[in-house]
Amino acid sequence: MKNYELIEHTADLAVRVRGKDLNELFKNTALAIFEISSEKLRNKDIKHKKIIIKQKADNLPELFVNWLNEVISLSAAKGLIFDGFQISKLTENNLEAVASCSDIKNYKINSEIKAATYHELHIEKNESGWQAEVIFDV
Amino acid sequence: MYETREVALEKIDDFRWRIPRSYKPGMRVPGIIYADEKLLKDIRQDKALEQVANVAFLPGIVNASFAMPDIHWGYGFCIGGVAATDPENSGVVSPGGVGFDINCGVRLLKTNFQYEDIKDKLKDLVYALFSDIPAGVGSKGDIRVSAKEEKEILVKGSKWAVGKGYGTQEDLECTEENGAIQGADPQAVSERAYERGKAQSGTLGSGNHFLEVQVIDQLYDRDICDELDLNLGQVTVMIHSGSRGLGYQICEDYVKSMQHCLQKYNINVPDRQLACAPVNSAEGKAYLSAMKCAANYAWANRQCLMHLTRMVFEKIFSLSWQKMGMSLIYDVAHNIAKIEKHVVDGKEKDLCIHRKGATRAFPPGHAALPERYKKIGQPVIIPGDMGRNSYLLAGTQKAMEETFGSTCHGAGRLKSRTAAAKSINLGVLLKVLEAKGIIVRASGRGTIVEEAPQAYKDVNDVVDVVHNAGISKRVCRMKPVGVIKG
Repeated sequence: MKNYELIEHTADLAVRVRGKDLNELFKNTALAIFEISSEKLRNKDIKHKKIIIKQKADNLPELFVNWLNEVISLSAAKGLIFDGFQISKLTENNLEAVASCSDIKNYKINSEIKAATYHELHIEKNESGWQAEVIFDV
Repeated sequence: MYETREVALEKIDDFRWRIPRSYKPGMRVPGIIYADEKLLKDIRQDKALEQVANVAFLPGIVNASFAMPDIHWGYGFCIGGVAATDPENSGVVSPGGVGFDINCGVRLLKTNFQYEDIKDKLKDLVYALFSDIPAGVGSKGDIRVSAKEEKEILVKGSKWAVGKGYGTQEDLECTEENGAIQGADPQAVSERAYERGKAQSGTLGSGNHFLEVQVIDQLYDRDICDELDLNLGQVTVMIHSGSRGLGYQICEDYVKSMQHCLQKYNINVPDRQLACAPVNSAEGKAYLSAMKCAANYAWANRQCLMHLTRMVFEKIFSLSWQKMGMSLIYDVAHNIAKIEKHVVDGKEKDLCIHRKGATRAFPPGHAALPERYKKIGQPVIIPGDMGRNSYLLAGTQKAMEETFGSTCHGAGRLKSRTAAAKSINLGVLLKVLEAKGIIVRASGRGTIVEEAPQAYKDVNDVVDVVHNAGISKRVCRMKPVGVIKG
């Protein structure tokens, strides 16, 4: 079962994501961005590199939005697609992660996700773990 | 998650509806929606009206939180919203009131051709436009710009492009703000924003951006058409694009930094995407300086796209663009915040006008218009969807009096992209468009389906409202014959 699903939004892209813990929720949401917007063209001969991402914020929703926007922005600015994240530190205010990525040329880009927004943002703990709903501008 | 609650509306007249301040404690002004009964049914389907009410919380907002008939659910502001704030009364500027695609806008140029003159070469023309104009996600253009020039573009806008030989002085006169809004400060733009916008000058982008070859199929105001030398059957070209990655990053940077302003300036808004700062604060001034950079970048971009279009026409028809009469009618922004003079309670004031999916529509005689348009009013360009129509309108005095000189910006989405992708068959859609004589070329097949006519409201209905409400008037209508999508 996919750990995310699309929800209806008139103009933009709304996604509901699940994770067994907060760490996985952050990771799965970032991965969903690239799964939705890109398609891998080849599996062989892809050179991966690692990038360290650090984010700070005043609270959890802000950290979540900053994290997603940093990933989107790095991807667009550097021409990279991310396919793995190892989050080594995650509190309400701090995040440190190592992201695995490769050149955008290895992918077909189907849609452009411009940014994550605060509008109707929900992050909550439930019986099975954590769930977030977030709207991206596309 | 997205259950909508019924917003109780008061009818003002056949084309205006009010959300009273009592709807939500904290609204400083009422919401006013321009729509008829038919469009209102669609508008009620999502959360756009709730967003109109949320915008009414902004400190210093004047008169009302306005919504045009093409409104739909956005993030923070609704798409199709107009909000004026008074800097002298703690009025704020909100990056969310402009959006990520700063100075997304449209330009319309004419040709001397009648449809009959080009129809045999239309396919070649559309394919050549698609081949020579970079389109699609993150597309990079042939127009190479050095790091030093990047900063020059942010200050000079279209003037930079004209200086490089990509247009004429006349093009600048026919562009809102002459293609370069004053007060842009490249120092207010982050390195990441430069990096994200690099090499994207002269590229169309993706999503709802397009380049269309169109034919005028209806004349409404014959005097204005005569003034503009526009006739039935005449070929026009419309270009819809924005500030690309540079604008997205500037918006993101300032939405992030303005989260702190909510507490600092004791601002209470119901949605953090409405983060804002007083226009006269350091944060507000910095945002406006950066936003102007993106606005100028977008004007330069559309100028470059028009240059590339003229070059393609020259290649296909073996005539100079001047001989083909390819002059710019006008270029308008529909995602922008600007300081403009407006009369409030009989007193002229400098207000910060946010147009988020709304177009400036200044009346005849307005000081901001070039001499050639002083008599007819500002040309307003309204793009529709790829299967129906687009419009040329003109600004009116009533828009000045009621909506801070603003009108609608397009058809407005009706169906979500996912719903469109689920319910529309690409093969059938292309056949339907072909039967209508419309050739479509797109870099992504998904884009065509997501942008299908069924995903949009009928632009004819939207324009009927703004015309009948008097906040702009119909000049002529175009239908598409060739569509290039990102």
